[in-house]
Amino acid sequence: MTFLLTKIFLKSSIQKMGDKYAFTSNAKSNKNKLILYGLLLLYLIGVIGFLSVSLIDNLKEIHQETVFIGMILLLVLGVTIMQTIFSGINLLYFTKDTDSVLPLPIKPYQIILARTNVIMLVDLVVNIFVGLVPLLIYGYMLKCDSMFYISSIITLIILPILPVILISLLIMIIMSFSKITKNRNRFQLIATLLVIILIILLSVGMTKLEANTITDEQMMQMMTGANNMVNMIKGYFPTLGFGIDAITSGNIVTMIMQFAKIIGITAVGFVIYIFLAQKLYFKGLIGNLYSTSGRRSGKVKISNKKLGLGKQYIGKEFKILFRNPVYLVQCVLPALLFPILIIFLVGFGMSSEDMQEMSQLTNMLANNKSLVLYGVLAVTQFFSMIIYVSATAISRDGPNAVFMKYIPVSLYKQYAYKTIPNIVMNLISTIVVLGIAVYLINISILDCILLLIVSIIMSSFTSFLETLVDLKRPKLHWSSEYAVVKQNMNLIFPMIFSLINVGAVVLFNYLLQNIPAYTGIIVVGVVFAIANIIVNKYMKNHEYKLAENIM
Amino acid sequence: MIEIKNVSKSYVKDKKSVNGLNLNIQNGEIFGFLGPNGAGKTTTIRMITGILEPDEGDILVDGHSIKKEPLEAKRNFGFVPDSPDIFLKLKGIEYLNFLAEVYNVPSEERQNRIEELTKKFEIYKDLNSNIESYSHGMRQKIVICGALLSNPKNWILDEPMTGLDPKASYDLKEMMRNHAKAGNTVFFSTHILEVAEKLCDRVGIINKGELVFVGTFEEMKEKFKEQTSLEELFLEITEE
Repeated sequence: MTFLLTKIFLKSSIQKMGDKYAFTSNAKSNKNKLILYGLLLLYLIGVIGFLSVSLIDNLKEIHQETVFIGMILLLVLGVTIMQTIFSGINLLYFTKDTDSVLPLPIKPYQIILARTNVIMLVDLVVNIFVGLVPLLIYGYMLKCDSMFYISSIITLIILPILPVILISLLIMIIMSFSKITKNRNRFQLIATLLVIILIILLSVGMTKLEANTITDEQMMQMMTGANNMVNMIKGYFPTLGFGIDAITSGNIVTMIMQFAKIIGITAVGFVIYIFLAQKLYFKGLIGNLYSTSGRRSGKVKISNKKLGLGKQYIGKEFKILFRNPVYLVQCVLPALLFPILIIFLVGFGMSSEDMQEMSQLTNMLANNKSLVLYGVLAVTQFFSMIIYVSATAISRDGPNAVFMKYIPVSLYKQYAYKTIPNIVMNLISTIVVLGIAVYLINISILDCILLLIVSIIMSSFTSFLETLVDLKRPKLHWSSEYAVVKQNMNLIFPMIFSLINVGAVVLFNYLLQNIPAYTGIIVVGVVFAIANIIVNKYMKNHEYKLAENIM
Repeated sequence: MIEIKNVSKSYVKDKKSVNGLNLNIQNGEIFGFLGPNGAGKTTTIRMITGILEPDEGDILVDGHSIKKEPLEAKRNFGFVPDSPDIFLKLKGIEYLNFLAEVYNVPSEERQNRIEELTKKFEIYKDLNSNIESYSHGMRQKIVICGALLSNPKNWILDEPMTGLDPKASYDLKEMMRNHAKAGNTVFFSTHILEVAEKLCDRVGIINKGELVFVGTFEEMKEKFKEQTSLEELFLEITEE
């Protein structure tokens, strides 16, 4: 029964990534899609491969190459934790099939097991991709034997189970309080934020604890002894050390022993998890299912003041974005959280020595205006890859997107209104990046204003392009909002466009090296302003054709 | 007035979902659009409202072509879609204020119109709440209020009675009658034959994309004399 239930939950959670991306009976279109996916896969493997090769090379020079294995396993654990925070809350509590499953004669633990299996399977796919490619490259570069590959695969499968059940349990504990709230939306948001904050605090705490337990002498020993540095990483997660030892030992008995330890700890964790989950899960689930967003009474404020269509429309977009916890957490928060996290790290993480080094860097950069301006501009563009507002502008409306087509407002205007929130989010993240640049490398206010203008011109171009992609390939039929932001191939495009913009900045820096940096940046702005005009003209001229897939 | 002129639409090659449809819905008329599931009712309504573009033919709303002057045509109708689950994260009042802006309802009329409609449908006191907290019937009511806010001459309603309580259903029918009496047009689809019989001046029955009957109920009964009940008449017209 648990297997069957897992299969059903998995099918309903992993829907098609979007109709336009699915293979059809049309051989030519399938061939094109296959080429596109192949190129995309090659590109991603290429990026991961390039980074891995350079890192392994550098580590080999200082005889610390096993640190790479530790880093990859740590990355896998990190990705698992982040993935479980976002997918766990949605898969456990906010799927639409809950209503249909609860009345069925299925034992509670079977539902919990099936739900947990789905979270683990989704994580496993991501982990194989994130972890396996670098480990294969490591194995090839260091000419490892077959035992290395077997131990790597087994570790990638069993290591992430413990973080999944720990995070799921944390989610269940927080969600079990949902009964006390009448406002489900607000609670959903607070619960998600609480989980994120708790995880960040825990990781910071563990990092500090780990750092404090290592004395300067120990650190010197680690640095000088071959492959000793990896020991620094082992303490970050209870089973991480066993995983690293299993892969690096090269001894079959040690490998089996290490796996036995991981499986033993995970099994104990699993038994405790199932025991506690049976007490917690349904409490939160039912509380969440039957608490509504609450009706409010009171004086109705009917606005008879005309705000203007643009303001009303953009206001509506922001309201929907901010009031929907899934959209807020997935589309808006990363843009705000990442720069804030950087500020946090910059502000609290720097020692006085670091600050001294930074001031040396500032002095060095003061003589290289071009590097500063182009560099900061590239960083602002880099952060636009985590803003998914435009990439989901049409998909977020789901079946309601047809509303756009029967109201008497030009479709082009509506496309623009739907793109503006993405530009605003870009503006916020750009301001944060520029603030950090002022603090760290002392760039002038005039530089900031110039960079802000050019950065916004560049990101408004990508914002319009992302809306265009979502118009051409909208994902309108979904079972939960989560599918729009997680199971949606369109979300690759912000990353691609952002990297193209970063590449363009690097290219312009190279091409315009003979002209003053200010003029160069203005040229970049003018080029992207022209690109903006072209994309807008295209959208205006094809406004009806572009809406063909909205139905 | 709504004129549907020789309209066809296919979703897949060689299979027309609507085939050569011709219909004229006159001012002052309530027109019921009937047909079994998958007959082409929603496709037709989607073409009238501009959601789908016809492959052939054209549709005029008060003389404005939905193909050539879409914005003008859209300003002349109010549309109630088949699903009322729309903008669930907005408050009722936010939804109506937004539509007032979209349909350019004059400031001085806005307050009266919203109060009048929402009080009639008994949702006025719930306007401060998010639409997602409304029951299905209340959502249907707010969508109807939104469609009628700009007092459009032509009403296009897709299954408007679904989910309404008897009082709201009665009120809506009364409003439809009064709207038609004032020289305006009401075009609606329904599965409830009794509603269509009591309310409509004329009905059109569509089956497999083809219009198989247009006329009054008297004409229908005249044509199929041997059938006694309304259901039997409908089945006779739409069966293979």
